[in-house]
Amino acid sequence: MELTEQITDQYVIIGITGRLDTTNYMALEKKLMDLIESHHDKILVDCLNMDYISSSGLRILLMALKKITLVKGRFVLCGLQENIHEIFEISGFTSIFEIHPSREDALKLI
Amino acid sequence: MAYYIHYTDPNSEDMLRDLEQVPRCPGICFFMDINKSTDIKYQGGLKDWGRKLNNTFNNLLYANHFQYHVVKGIGDEMMLFIPEEVLQKKSSNNTCFALLEDIYAALFLIKNHPDQDLYLNCKVAIHYCTEAHNITFFEGADDYYGSDIDLTARLMSKSVENRIVLSEKFYVKVVNDLISMGLPIDTGCLSQVSERFIENFKGVPVSTAFRVIEVQ
Repeated sequence: MELTEQITDQYVIIGITGRLDTTNYMALEKKLMDLIESHHDKILVDCLNMDYISSSGLRILLMALKKITLVKGRFVLCGLQENIHEIFEISGFTSIFEIHPSREDALKLI
Repeated sequence: MAYYIHYTDPNSEDMLRDLEQVPRCPGICFFMDINKSTDIKYQGGLKDWGRKLNNTFNNLLYANHFQYHVVKGIGDEMMLFIPEEVLQKKSSNNTCFALLEDIYAALFLIKNHPDQDLYLNCKVAIHYCTEAHNITFFEGADDYYGSDIDLTARLMSKSVENRIVLSEKFYVKVVNDLISMGLPIDTGCLSQVSERFIENFKGVPVSTAFRVIEVQ
């Protein structure tokens, strides 16, 4: 998995490429928790190039959502591939996360 | 595919010869049980009960591809078995540590989902089996038998909602995985692992050591 980070006026955009699983979820956890602790409360995670996510990866996203919600921030996802969307649906994530089809759509609407 | 054992002659020498040749199938056996589903069956009826069972089974299985390892389900409990050679051949997530982390995460997702009306909390017991054989007595079925499979079922008696019970044998495999990856032995959910308990389980001739992890 590779992580990219882009800081705009409004948002921090995290891009995930590859598989997010037990072998690497700690890197995403550290990245997100560091951002939240340094008071970045608007985070967009671009999943366009993420091709697999296990429960361990989903757990980190849920933890980040809970932490950002506590400070009334926004944690937004975009670019889910079909197989990832299905996993999000099964996990009940589509009803609790703000999800947009693409980064462009997300940035227009948020 | 399981060895199918079926002989009409109760005294068949061929049957004994066949059984003698069945190889051991080392692997990881785990039971996942959904809590309180029987109560809901009586309170909410089939629609509410069935919906929550569907949602919970899906949540437990699909993100981690566990659906390919379900041996059998009885009501709200599933038995899963992953042969060690199958686990090792996976291109990623191919360690006992990875397996434990994903099981922990699956229970965490259910426990911490904001909508508590969608899923039911679960409990798990997990064991590394060396005494296990991939045999079945029923045509077309897949199954595993052996004293270590029985022990995994016994370990379930020590589990409660949002708890994973892991045998010491499995715990040692997980720790060895961490050491070989150069990671501390309290990585991930192992930061919450209990001390070692010893128990004598019914039908098991020796004491069994195990630990527990409470899902946060």
